[in-house]
Amino acid sequence: MSIIRAENLHFTYEDGTEALRGIDLSVEAGQKIALLGANGSGKSTFFLCLNGINQPKEGTLYLHDKPYDYSKKGLLELRSKVGIVFQDPDNQLFSASVFQEISFGVLNIGVDEKEAERRVEEAINELEITPFRHKPTHFLSGGQKKQVSVADILVMDPEVIVLDEPAAALDPKHTIILNHLIEKLSARGITIIISTHDVDHAFAWADEVILFHKGKVLRRGTPEEVFSAAEDLEKTNLAKPAALRLFDNLVANGVLDADEPIPRNLDTLEMYIRERRK
Amino acid sequence: MIIVDKLCYSSRLRYMNAGEKFAFAIITLLICVVSRSILCAAVILAATAILTVKIGGIPLSRYRTLMAVPLTFILLSTLAIIVNFSHTPLDAFAIPLGSIYVTGSWHGIYRAFQLIITAMAAVSCLYFLSLNTPMTDILEVLRRLRCPLLFIELMMLIYRFLFVLLEIASSITTSQRSRLGNKDLKTAYHSFSNMVSVLFVRAIKKSNALFDAMESRCYDGRIRVLNETFPPKAKEIIAIVCFEVFLLICIIGGKLLL
Repeated sequence: MSIIRAENLHFTYEDGTEALRGIDLSVEAGQKIALLGANGSGKSTFFLCLNGINQPKEGTLYLHDKPYDYSKKGLLELRSKVGIVFQDPDNQLFSASVFQEISFGVLNIGVDEKEAERRVEEAINELEITPFRHKPTHFLSGGQKKQVSVADILVMDPEVIVLDEPAAALDPKHTIILNHLIEKLSARGITIIISTHDVDHAFAWADEVILFHKGKVLRRGTPEEVFSAAEDLEKTNLAKPAALRLFDNLVANGVLDADEPIPRNLDTLEMYIRERRK
Repeated sequence: MIIVDKLCYSSRLRYMNAGEKFAFAIITLLICVVSRSILCAAVILAATAILTVKIGGIPLSRYRTLMAVPLTFILLSTLAIIVNFSHTPLDAFAIPLGSIYVTGSWHGIYRAFQLIITAMAAVSCLYFLSLNTPMTDILEVLRRLRCPLLFIELMMLIYRFLFVLLEIASSITTSQRSRLGNKDLKTAYHSFSNMVSVLFVRAIKKSNALFDAMESRCYDGRIRVLNETFPPKAKEIIAIVCFEVFLLICIIGGKLLL
């Protein structure tokens, strides 16, 4: 059963920009999904639709096979189940205090203060915020702000967390920390949808990859399927992941066998080559 | 302003209960302003300096600079009390200037001194509060004092976005400078006006984005947040009460002596 399903989703901004032109897709519970596509292909708009901030002009979204309910009560329920971590933490963090900031969402969904406090502490712990929890948000680094903005959503105990380009503007070290934290969330059974431009990470991490192009789904499938579709990658200005490109070359040159499972990262590929040499 | 904000997070008194600090600062300030006692003001100046510099760990040089700012203003404005223009010379000093005197009385000098020291003591109380208490803690005290929520929410958002917008302004200015945006006065004015208008547009955009982000966390028009509070300590409360009583005794003692 799908947790989220979109049927023929259309969305047009007030200035007439058609951001989404018929999105069809479904997401299974617990999946790790990477959404790729050029800037302006509609990823962020789609995310805002998932959370009920943007109401589609045409088409329907389903949560647990029930169409989205845009009444006040329906939205409250929807937003407590589907959370968005925004791209720029400075657009999301509204309080100077980390503790206040994280407690906002959980109080809004009507959890009592005692339970909310417990959950805030838990999120601080889980997302490794303790070392800077007493710092004001304006003195945090980009990576730390990102950790707080993920905690903002985690406290609401959502079923789906949507992250809009989580690694944008992060240095490699903080990207690794963040990826490790996202992995933790996924291990808890939370469905994760991220948008990214990092093909290597998407290839290694995702269960399913979705290519967006001009407000439509160009292709979706396993990472191996999607990243082998050279034509579609070219259309969306994406390069083949390094591991896949090298693997294809090595197969073409007879170094490796084509019937081996496609390596999802360079480490696996390295292992193949090492074994081959033995 | 930004320096005060930076310092308060590193103060050793930061984790003291904010209500206690607030009560100490405000009660002391009121006693000082109402009594106008010079002795009392001197005690307050010493006490707040010790608390902020010695116990709080704020560098003395910073504290001196911060105190010098209001002192300059107060000195300039008390000049008017000391210096008079009159046809008859007064007792303290008198400089003849044609047919009139630039003159002053001992009473005027005493009044000016009293004003300077009480004003500085009052300022030092407020500095004590702001150098040792983060803004968010002060807002929490105001909330408990039933200050209207609208004001508190506004202050909270303004405080946060002050830093966001300052950062944007400074990065725009830097990029303008790197393109010779300040090569002469005319270009500098022009660059500044451009920066302000871009900043305004960005502020509007930021506010829309923030609203979306808050909506996505079920914002319903009221900002509900939890605060970390640090429990008040009996010892500290007793110390504050003793200090205030001591001040009152100073005032009464001073009145009796005169």
